[in-house]
Amino acid sequence: MAERRGGPSSASGITAREAAPDILLQGVTRDFGAVAALAPIDLRITGGAVTALVGPSGCGKSTLLRLLAGLIPPSRGHILVGAETPDALRRRAGLAMAFQDAALLPWRSVRGNVALGRALARRPRDPRADEALIGLVGLAGFETWRPAELSGGMRQRAAIARALAAAPELLLLDEPFGAVDELTRERLNAELPPLWETAGATVILVTHSVTEAVRLSDRVLVMTPRPARIAADIPVPLPRPRAEALAATERFAGICAAVRAALRSAEPAAGPR
Amino acid sequence: MRGPGRALPLLGLILLWEVLARATAQSFVIAAPTAIAAHLATHAELLLRALGTTAWNAAQGYLWGNLAGIALALAAVSAPRAERILSILALFVFCLPLVATGPVLRVLSGPGNAPQVALAALAVYYTTFLPVLVGLRAAPQSWFELVRSHGRGPLAALWLVRLPAALPYLAAGLQIAVPAAFLGAMVGEFTGAERGLGMLTLRALRGLDLPATWAIAVIAALVSGLAFHLAGRLARWLDPAPPALLPAAPAGARPLRLAGPLADTVLALAAGGLLWAGLMELFALPDFFAKRPGDVWAFLVTDAQAGAHRARLAAALGQTLAMAGPGYLAGLALGAGLAAGLTLRPGLAGLAMPLAVALRAVPIIATAPVLIWALGRGAAGTVTVVAVMIFFPTLVACLSGIARTPRAVLDLFDSHAAPGLQRLLWAQLPAILPAFFAAARMAVPAAILAVTTAEWLATGRGIGALMAVSAATSDYAMLWSATAATGLAALAAHGAVAWAERAVLSRHAAEQVAR
Ligand SMILES: Nc1ncnc2c1ncn2[C@@H]1O[C@H](COP(=O)(O)OP(=O)(O)O)[C@@H](O)[C@H]1O
Ligand SMILES: [Mg+2]
Repeated sequence: MAERRGGPSSASGITAREAAPDILLQGVTRDFGAVAALAPIDLRITGGAVTALVGPSGCGKSTLLRLLAGLIPPSRGHILVGAETPDALRRRAGLAMAFQDAALLPWRSVRGNVALGRALARRPRDPRADEALIGLVGLAGFETWRPAELSGGMRQRAAIARALAAAPELLLLDEPFGAVDELTRERLNAELPPLWETAGATVILVTHSVTEAVRLSDRVLVMTPRPARIAADIPVPLPRPRAEALAATERFAGICAAVRAALRSAEPAAGPR
Repeated sequence: MRGPGRALPLLGLILLWEVLARATAQSFVIAAPTAIAAHLATHAELLLRALGTTAWNAAQGYLWGNLAGIALALAAVSAPRAERILSILALFVFCLPLVATGPVLRVLSGPGNAPQVALAALAVYYTTFLPVLVGLRAAPQSWFELVRSHGRGPLAALWLVRLPAALPYLAAGLQIAVPAAFLGAMVGEFTGAERGLGMLTLRALRGLDLPATWAIAVIAALVSGLAFHLAGRLARWLDPAPPALLPAAPAGARPLRLAGPLADTVLALAAGGLLWAGLMELFALPDFFAKRPGDVWAFLVTDAQAGAHRARLAAALGQTLAMAGPGYLAGLALGAGLAAGLTLRPGLAGLAMPLAVALRAVPIIATAPVLIWALGRGAAGTVTVVAVMIFFPTLVACLSGIARTPRAVLDLFDSHAAPGLQRLLWAQLPAILPAFFAAARMAVPAAILAVTTAEWLATGRGIGALMAVSAATSDYAMLWSATAATGLAALAAHGAVAWAERAVLSRHAAEQVAR
């Protein structure tokens, strides 16, 4: 399936770790009151790989991420990251999540929010590294700006920088590029992967863009409407680094078409649910 | 407007005031600015000393009251299960009329300024507690999830999320607290202090000294207004875009379901009774004036004269409610009505808002003597004092509610060139409702304070007068009973308003009820 990568470059200064452990979900469900958000899910997510989750709005993608982050417990079944629960991983500051609504603290500047990610993860202060991360997500020059002064896309990028500042083993990205404009998105799609590759982190990415899912991930999981099941599991055996030109190849288009077909057949029948 | 342009309307106003005062000199109601100035000049030293005393009492009460409000709010967020009971208890204590707590504290502490400080603190803590509590809870879920996702606990969430999020709310509360502290200190001085502006007010009222009464009201208004302005500066420095103060209704009370809140109220009152008795036992306060809940029960229920006691209390309470009710409704109606009317003339609203905000800084109770003087010691004077006390906060709340109508909604109406009235009814009135109800809730204790103070000072009727007489004749069982009864009546009125709020908002502004 996905090939393990231990990148040689260390442009970001983040040192490579041992290969991250696989994540195992067994019979995992989650209900909210009478609403079943997730049908039983059995799944193995490869450590150190990038896994993309795609599916219709409201199907349960964010719920799955929050389960993996140990923020909510499963209603049934269990999850293991290597030998530990997500909750244990969370407690020892081993994961970071970029939230769908960015969740920047409005009284902190971009710099302050990025530094917060490091501080929350109990890592020593490192303004230079924070600065580098801010530059990497294209916010150089906006270090002192407050979230209220930023556009939606800029806020999401700051949230990504904050998550990266925690140097997580498991990085959870909830529609991180939802409000980012097309050009910046292209640039981030090119510049972010080397960063988490060198860190050896396991990345789980929720996105609405099929091409983005294929471009960034080693594997695309297509989810059905609520209660979510994994409708299709599509490997992306494309070589890395993936240049923009790759998107023009027939192989790339073929995988995208497969994902789109899976999404379409997972769609509900027309009419109100 | 700057410089002379700004001073011009003020000069005109003073001139008008002078003319009016001279024209009505026979009726002996309005003191002319020249007469006030003359009084200020001839009594400068006395007034300055009194002002110093009152300001110092107010400042100490301000400090303690705000600290208590913050501590209560912190306790409420850290023990969510106890939150509602704590809120009800805090409200109940806030509803106790200061003119009754004053004499009791006076007996407890002897001469000195402890009662004035305590009353200032009592007048302040609740209006700080509510916004800080809202602020501590205002943060969205994802901010807490961010903290948790990195394995950090509630302490980190408090320090990194809740406290900074509550800061602007605290700043707003601190500003509202300025005139309230001044007011509390003055009421404390009404109830038997030897020094201070409140004591001078009493003396001026008894001596029928019109310029002195006005001069004191003017000083209180100016100083409190100045401090209010400074607190506002501090607030804007903390947060350039402070949140509108909309203290939420007691959390969790579902619309049209009474059992939960009722049970909590009973629990809160039981806790209050225990606290009341416990504190008295703890400090070994003498039965003679420190009446326990059991004494009040005996006085009103099991005593041989209990029937007569109840009748006296009920009659006084009835008189008071007959004044407070109309004043309350009039103040609310005028405030909301004027806000709505001003909305149709946006130019006027721009003028009225700063004026109303400025007048909110005036400790209204300081003007009560002047109002009573103007309107007489009968019903008109008392009802007006209550209405004025409620009018300004309501107007400010409703105007800021209107200002918070979502821009996009207004753009929608404007894009269809909707007439002003339609815009008001469909877009802006729903935005007023939450602010209006928040004001209506806070107006309940304000009305109690206003009506009892007016009765205490002047009218000789109602529960305030009963309290004055009981305090003067050392009839402490009656004083405690009257205090408890007034607090309960206020709590019931507050509950009724909160219930109406839930019922209306759940239909017209569902998103406001969610929290
Ligand atoms: N805290 C919650 N309480 C109740 N229902 C929830 C909660 N979180 C999510 N849901 C419900 O679970 C379903 C999946 O939500 P979510 O995971 O946010 O979807 P997605 O991220 O795929 O758009 C939705 O129907 C949503 O209403
Ligand atoms: Mg989502």
